[in-house]
Amino acid sequence: MLCVLTVLCWSWAVLGYGYGLQKDSSRAGLCPSPCQCEEDGIFVLADCSELGLTAVPANLSHLTTYLRISGNQLRYISGLALHGLHNLKVLMLQNNQLERLPNDIPWNLPNLLSLRLDANLLSEVPARSLGGLRSLRHLWLDDNSLTEIPVSALDSLPALQAMTLALNHITHIPDHAFSNLSSLVVLHLHNNQIQTMGERCFQGLLSLETLDLNYNNLPEFPTAIRTLAKLQELGFHNNNIRAIPERAFMGNRQLQTIHFYENPIQSVGRSAFQFLPKLHTLSLNGATQIRDFPDLKGTTSLETLELSHNQIEDLPSFYHCSALQEIGLQYNNIRRIERNTFQQLSSLRSLVFIIILYITEIPPSLYRDLSENSLTSLPVGGLGGLTHLKLKGNMELYEDFSPELFTRMRVVEMPYAYQCCVYGSCDSYKSISQLETEQSSEEEELDQRTVALYPIHTDTLYDPDLEDLQMELQESKLQTNIQCSPVPGPFRPCDSL
Amino acid sequence: ALRAVIKVTLLKNEPTGKPITLEGLFVGGSAGSAEGKLMQSHPLSLCNTSEDERQESDFISIVKLESPERKVPQCLPLLHKARLALERGAQAVIFDVTDDVNAKFQLPESDSLLRPVVLMQAADAEMLMELVNRNEEARVRIDIKREDPKWPHYD
Amino acid sequence: IPGVSSGCQGGCLTCSDYNGCLSCKPRLFIFLERNGMRQIGVCLPSCPSGFYGTRSPDRNTCTKCRPECDSCFNKNLCMRCRAGYYLHLGKCQESCPESLVCSDTQRECVPKCPV
Repeated sequence: MLCVLTVLCWSWAVLGYGYGLQKDSSRAGLCPSPCQCEEDGIFVLADCSELGLTAVPANLSHLTTYLRISGNQLRYISGLALHGLHNLKVLMLQNNQLERLPNDIPWNLPNLLSLRLDANLLSEVPARSLGGLRSLRHLWLDDNSLTEIPVSALDSLPALQAMTLALNHITHIPDHAFSNLSSLVVLHLHNNQIQTMGERCFQGLLSLETLDLNYNNLPEFPTAIRTLAKLQELGFHNNNIRAIPERAFMGNRQLQTIHFYENPIQSVGRSAFQFLPKLHTLSLNGATQIRDFPDLKGTTSLETLELSHNQIEDLPSFYHCSALQEIGLQYNNIRRIERNTFQQLSSLRSLVFIIILYITEIPPSLYRDLSENSLTSLPVGGLGGLTHLKLKGNMELYEDFSPELFTRMRVVEMPYAYQCCVYGSCDSYKSISQLETEQSSEEEELDQRTVALYPIHTDTLYDPDLEDLQMELQESKLQTNIQCSPVPGPFRPCDSL
Repeated sequence: ALRAVIKVTLLKNEPTGKPITLEGLFVGGSAGSAEGKLMQSHPLSLCNTSEDERQESDFISIVKLESPERKVPQCLPLLHKARLALERGAQAVIFDVTDDVNAKFQLPESDSLLRPVVLMQAADAEMLMELVNRNEEARVRIDIKREDPKWPHYD
Repeated sequence: IPGVSSGCQGGCLTCSDYNGCLSCKPRLFIFLERNGMRQIGVCLPSCPSGFYGTRSPDRNTCTKCRPECDSCFNKNLCMRCRAGYYLHLGKCQESCPESLVCSDTQRECVPKCPV
């Protein structure tokens, strides 16, 4: 008898009930039909999804911690329908037809952590509707019909860590919209129609790390982000932003990625991308009015810098950019490169697997306009790790570059064929067919030597050791086999004209 | 473009089994040798947003491209898809272009393909896809097909 | 052909035998299910455990959470960690900050019990 009393008291203490736990004769009684349930210790996980339900099943156990009613035809759920579910932690209501939430008697779910309301028909979230969810951490409201941020309702969610309001019809973010959400880490607002934002609309978001404003109608750079000191990932691609102002990200020193492609960006403040020590990718393709190379002072971890299709004329010294691995500069007006331009790119040697330096891939259509813009010399200091070098179209660049300078080089494109002679056996004029016959005899000799060493049955008994040897020989052969174009030939002699 | 020889050995028949020999076409600039277990990749798995689990051992991805009428979202140009598959660890990528004959135009000569990318079609491609469809695990070896020179010497 | 499973199931809008679902009915997520060497598309009301869903006008996709996370809101915010890890401010860690203790049942960093 004592043992039973102890259990009752314990249950009372743990589950915080005002009355004793009814002695359930059978576990089945905890699972309302037509749901399916699983046990999690003394608790219940109930799955009532995809059953064509139009109301929440009655007789849900108070021990339910996980309740899934997604994919049904629910239009409204009153506060009473979820009464007593004090242990509920996860409530999944996505893919229903909910049109409104209870405001008079809100849901009282004090331990709820995750609430999915995505893919419903909600056009508003009444001020008191979320009042009984003080522990809520994750809220999905995406793919509904909201026309504004539910500012008042959000005020009652101090523990919220992640929220999505994506795929709604929101047009404006008012000042102090999220002022009570100091624990919010992730905020998705993509695929709305946001046009205007209050200057202090993100005030209070002290923990925000991810902000997604992609696919909206923002006409200007969202300067309101200035207050987000912990921001790491920012997206505002597919908007209508024309300029990125000076010191645009001065308040966001933790930024690692910024996605802003598919904007009609024409001008970028020279100091826009300063002091972003954790930024590793910067892509500024097609910002048609960029004339000066952005000043990257304090932005020292860049690995990829894409600046093609602009109007840059001069390159600065990449003094602090030791992490740079890939630079894209094609379709610019670069005429001169200083001797120490690439000097500091120390990681280029050690880390690079591909460093592609397109300087003058000038499309024929533009050739006449840029005719006076072409390189006459290329300082190679710091470029020893290059694997690809494209200098095609630089018709005033006559010097060639000895292979010793580029120990990892694999693909070279030069303006003139004779400049490829240093990469092939061009000691005297050779016809193409001679080059080919020489190459094929080399391979036969290789095969024979291999065959001699390891006699293999012609009918390919698969022998991994032999294969490894051939792979190694093939690899070592590739190392010396630099593809240089244009290939010298009968009409492209080796001697300089 | 260089032709590829694809030797396929069913794992259940290794090591004595006779391989099936098929052919394909290398995408320009990617010709070379490669070997690995055959693994199907859904066309949508090669988008920036999606992620395929990292395979442990060496694998070769095969992607069945659907015909344009099926309007499978493109998400990335084919060249980027090939590069993404290689970056995710594929030793090589095989595209079955039987139903998308224009695919080859999306795969021009490129120096950014670090390992072989092969286009296959018709009977050869179907043979490979049938193995996949039956989940018959196979090992694939890709090599450059040695061609006899077609034209006599000239000086 | 015996043994060849048709990839098309409920929820698909378009599909093919080799690739399974290519697109889904509205509001469903396309999940790329790996089964041995095969990878086919299936359409689900929500992504399976270990994946998070991202809705967009033309396609709802499932993406894998980080390895140490069993269930996540997105790549950077975990909701439940794998065994051996403890959740703190949306991240899975192998230990907890000074003021908290590791709860193995909840796999979370929780406040110390008042002495």
